[in-house]
Amino acid sequence: MSAPAPTFDMADLGPHLATLRDADLDALDFGVIGFDLDTIVCRYNQVESQEAGLSPQRVLGQPLFTNVAPCMNNFMVAQRFEDAQEQGTLLDATIDYVLTLRMRPIKVALRLIALPGATVRYVLVRRQK
Amino acid sequence: MSNITNPDPGAGIIAEHEALIQFMYLAPVGLVQADMQGVIAMINPISAQLLMPLAPQACLNNLFDALEGVAPELRHLCASFTAPSGMVCEGRHIVLHHGGRARIERGTPEVLSISLLKLDAARLMAVISDVTEQVRRERQLKQADAWLNAILTNITDYAVVSLDRDGHVSAWNDTIGRVTRFGQDVVGQPYSVFFPEGGTTDARQVDRLREALADGWNLEEGPRRRADGSQFWGSAMIAPLPDNGALQEGEIDSAYCMILRDISDKHAAGAAAHSATFSDALTGVSNRRAFFDAASKELGRRRQSPRATSLVVFDTDHLKSINQRLGAAAGDQVLRQLAARLRATFRDVDVVARMGGNQFAVLLPSTDLAGALIVAERVRVQVAAQEPAPDGSVLAFTVSAGVAEMDDDANELTALMARAEQAMRRAKQQGRNQVAHWTPADHFQLPDLISPL
Repeated sequence: MSAPAPTFDMADLGPHLATLRDADLDALDFGVIGFDLDTIVCRYNQVESQEAGLSPQRVLGQPLFTNVAPCMNNFMVAQRFEDAQEQGTLLDATIDYVLTLRMRPIKVALRLIALPGATVRYVLVRRQK
Repeated sequence: MSNITNPDPGAGIIAEHEALIQFMYLAPVGLVQADMQGVIAMINPISAQLLMPLAPQACLNNLFDALEGVAPELRHLCASFTAPSGMVCEGRHIVLHHGGRARIERGTPEVLSISLLKLDAARLMAVISDVTEQVRRERQLKQADAWLNAILTNITDYAVVSLDRDGHVSAWNDTIGRVTRFGQDVVGQPYSVFFPEGGTTDARQVDRLREALADGWNLEEGPRRRADGSQFWGSAMIAPLPDNGALQEGEIDSAYCMILRDISDKHAAGAAAHSATFSDALTGVSNRRAFFDAASKELGRRRQSPRATSLVVFDTDHLKSINQRLGAAAGDQVLRQLAARLRATFRDVDVVARMGGNQFAVLLPSTDLAGALIVAERVRVQVAAQEPAPDGSVLAFTVSAGVAEMDDDANELTALMARAEQAMRRAKQQGRNQVAHWTPADHFQLPDLISPL
């Protein structure tokens, strides 16, 4: 059985991500950062690693919002994950954002996914055309 | 030690590059490189963290665009910075949230600090940081400082007065009642209510608030008034309270904190030394030094916010002949009488000084030519009407006065003094015992046509 490769916009992507192995994540054409309930990064795919210029070993095991992506540490991103966690609600939202990949301002779409009860939460990153 | 170097030299450079990138990613301060029009070339994550919530349309291409809503002056500041390189601004505070915001999100910065360094014609470096906590701490420290001063100094008592944006008392408390004896009805009154009549002007009140905002505090000593009209020597520190965002339920809108201390005891002890330095020994009014000190302060305030400022120069008539007829002691008596008259007639806020010989000068803040003429004339009439005492303790004499108002052509103290003196000489020429005001024609008068005595 070979399901079609998940896309950035696909509905119900959240539950699907948990089933993918690291190699599957590496094959995706958008960046994936997975982090646990303490915000420690536990998944980091190849696209994201290349765009950011950081190898996974520099990132895995680090707290996301302070040591990996401080640019997201505001009410637009970090706060939404906190709120979802506090209230036990579903977060699946896509926002326009600017990441500073290798110190260049890059327009991206961020998809923020947190499922109630799930132990891994995701930030997906797609470069804007 | 070459045996432990990396066998692949390229790998070392890549690792170093990656470490550098990570260093930049994690720098806990915002760094941006842009051109002089603000177009961003390089930017680190903290900058994005701080700027994204401000940036229109989720776009960070231009630094000035991103900050347009909160610091529109930056673009102009850079455009008008003509030096080839250098600091355009350093630690400039950008207040993001003014009052009225319903809910401040957790961790959302309220005050940013920005420094802009022009590297050359094409490159600008910006350092941006969130100084919300620092500003909050400074605010607390400022209050603590004022309290410490109030407590540690040997004082009779202090009042803590909160003032609103316009300098009106915004709340009453026990300390106000204790020190000033004012009751609840003082709320809403300007803080000049604590000054004796003539002790301040509206413009001076605004000056002090502005100085407090600019310098972080403003300290002034002088006579103050209680509700029952009695006076004490007060020390008043005014410190601005930074905008604290949305008001809580029942919270009073206070923009400044004023600590008013009754330091009458301390003042009495220091008064002798102060007077030796700043008073004229014969007459007790200010000496030249005190006059120039006070005048240059007033002119500084005038430059900040223009207002009318006038100067009156008084000169006793025929003092030489009084000295010759009645002796030098009589001459001294005349000067003391005139000084006492000047002090009784002018306001506390006016600077009355003996400039030397038989000449006195009075600087009148927030007073135009017409106002100064009225008071000068009042002095002249009262002096002339004084009946001599048979025992010689009161002597009869007259004064001449010259009045000038500051304008664009005479905006320095020396020019203003020269005008008032020219007018005074004309008053003498026209027969003495009169007040003249400066007119452009006085310019062409020869300075010493008559003896100043």
